[in-house]
Amino acid sequence: MTPNLPAVTITGIGSVSPYGPLAGLIPQCSLQPSAITAWTTTGLRRAFLVQPFRPASVVPGLKTRRLDRLSAWALVASSLALKDAGIDLSQVDRSRVAVVFATAFGCVDLTEAFYLSAAANGWNGTDPSTFPETLPSAPASHVSMFHGLRGPNVTVSNKYFAGETALIQAASLLRHGQADVAIVLAGDALAQTLYSWYEVAGLLSPACYNSDPVSEAGGFIPCEGIAALVMELSGRANIRPDARSYARIRAGRWAAGGHPGEIIRQMLGGSVPSLTVCSGNGAPCATSPTIALAREVSGDAAVIILPLAVALGLAGTGALFHLILALSSRPVNGQALLLATAADSGFAALLLELV
Amino acid sequence: MTDIHKTIVVTGIGIVSPYGMGLDYLQAGMLSGKSCLEPTKDVYPGFEGTTAQVRELALLAKNFSSRYSRTDQLAALAAGDAMANSGCDRATFRESGVVMANTVGGLTEIDTGIAEDPAEWYRRPGGLLRGASYPFAHVADAVGEHFGIRGPRCAISVACASGAMAIALAADMLLDGAAPIILAGGSDPLCPFTLSGFNSLRALDPNPCTPFDQNRKGLNLGEGSAVLVLETLAGATARNANILAVLRGWAMTNDAFHPTAPQTQGRGLADCIRLSMEMAEVSGDDIGYVNAHGTGTPLNDIAEANAYETAFRGRNHPIPVSSTKSYFGHCLGAAGALEAAVTIMAVRSGVLLPTLRLTDPIESPGVDWLRGEVKRQPLPLAMSASSGFGGSNTVLIFGSGRS
Repeated sequence: MTPNLPAVTITGIGSVSPYGPLAGLIPQCSLQPSAITAWTTTGLRRAFLVQPFRPASVVPGLKTRRLDRLSAWALVASSLALKDAGIDLSQVDRSRVAVVFATAFGCVDLTEAFYLSAAANGWNGTDPSTFPETLPSAPASHVSMFHGLRGPNVTVSNKYFAGETALIQAASLLRHGQADVAIVLAGDALAQTLYSWYEVAGLLSPACYNSDPVSEAGGFIPCEGIAALVMELSGRANIRPDARSYARIRAGRWAAGGHPGEIIRQMLGGSVPSLTVCSGNGAPCATSPTIALAREVSGDAAVIILPLAVALGLAGTGALFHLILALSSRPVNGQALLLATAADSGFAALLLELV
Repeated sequence: MTDIHKTIVVTGIGIVSPYGMGLDYLQAGMLSGKSCLEPTKDVYPGFEGTTAQVRELALLAKNFSSRYSRTDQLAALAAGDAMANSGCDRATFRESGVVMANTVGGLTEIDTGIAEDPAEWYRRPGGLLRGASYPFAHVADAVGEHFGIRGPRCAISVACASGAMAIALAADMLLDGAAPIILAGGSDPLCPFTLSGFNSLRALDPNPCTPFDQNRKGLNLGEGSAVLVLETLAGATARNANILAVLRGWAMTNDAFHPTAPQTQGRGLADCIRLSMEMAEVSGDDIGYVNAHGTGTPLNDIAEANAYETAFRGRNHPIPVSSTKSYFGHCLGAAGALEAAVTIMAVRSGVLLPTLRLTDPIESPGVDWLRGEVKRQPLPLAMSASSGFGGSNTVLIFGSGRS
């Protein structure tokens, strides 16, 4: 995505997160992890969890009985984002609406369930209704089915920058005329197999094991949820009288190596963003290189918004939450950089115009 | 007039298939009419049915990191083959992008014990490493890390359309200037997880599959990987690259219909074909061959036939169509990329491969179901169609690079 291409505007936000199901920005409030009860643990284990809710109470008529949590959240978050954008799908050519979904682990709840059915019944006795829903792309497919969206439907991932990748790919689809509207979603659900992996690998914060307030003591606190953004070409959004504009995406780049400062400066084309939103990847050690890179490309005067623990806990799919939380903190208008680095795997950067 | 900055070309093709490693083995095997399908129980005891395996993978991948799943190994081998096929040294690819598709990620390395007692499973020797290969993004990282490629990496997973969609999205990325070259394709292995899943859905034909036959009974699973070297014509020309084909058009749509079944009339696929032809600025009469998705399942094949009837309505002659899954099975996330390579092979050599074992085709007057002998004729443009669970469709149109 090069800077001289048309800008893309974020016109709607929806989310299902530990803050609850929300349309629009997320009100500022302190959030503490909660105790895991979905599986048996040896002692207290905490994470930022989505509290159970009835999807139909948020989106009237929504039926999620046969869906896993991730797919259900995707339907709720996408519905809330469309509502926030003021888009009435009955007035839109749905063959021109794309869905781009970023996930690191996909429908891990159901993958666990499928393995359990194989353990119990043998490989020839597994549950046919579970298997197709284990696909990482199942939530995005359900979003297309529920809303009747017949445009491109893409599920992407990247170890550290899945959310950023989804934003860039969605903007690309819009700019190349392959869709008029894109719903971008990013997120994951937390399951026992994931939590255990983090724990055995020694990646968890001490705050996962006690009730102390969250501190920066190393490690991270796993999180779950899905954020959704509605994106439209800025020209289209401008002529829609009820369209809001949270931010415009001017350009984006990501790479697994090379010289990030050089690549980002080239992307900026002489712009000097006054704000950097750090979209970390779950490892606190990644924050410092991100700040150093932000200073390198934007100078010492740039305001830097540090990642919140709740969004850090979503690892590679946290970018949308980082952005929503930053927008919710009412940053200054002007140009901003959404920036993430990973020690061994490069960077992702999006140039935004906050309006 | 061709805009060389907006024209995407293929300058390398890498293949790992049940025929072996490399496009030459694939081409020779398919032209000879050899089927790679064999009884599953010979490969995976306890499973019935028919599959196609890459038998020499253990030997080919013996020097790979133990962190690499079978999916990763297939992908890295195909990527290496693609780079070699391009005739360039590895340094050429240093700033390249990697867009790799798959559906099962590292599930090949995971057994049922992980769900019964995850912590104990991870504590076993190698447990953490085996678990770490689970995310489907790992395949793109494996390719990038193995070859020291440091451009943008992206993994795609849209069920059986994944491999084709990786190529389409990579083309968009090239137009965006995201990287000078992109290695794009798909990789998927056989494993108990998918064998069990498709068996539970009763989607498998116990015998070698018969796509587009009125008596078709289901699909056969295969495994493999294909990677294309993609770049703009400007970039390829500047470095005097050998242009194998031009990616003339691509499109992606969704049926928005059902979690596993295609829309009965094939509307999503027909739309996708129309959009790809609009991008390529060609008509239905210009397309000389369609390499179909053609799984052999009752629902897919009839929906696909309906899509061709709709999309090619008004053509002067029935559209020639075949399914090459009849040769090496359905390779899931790799299928679209492997079939893109077969389509390029058809364009370059002017061969139209028949569907094997097709004796009583679906009645579809607008379609020329290729069967029997290989046909040879000039083929300026050919199409590869892919569809998948969740209603995803992707269509790619390739032309000869000679003009």
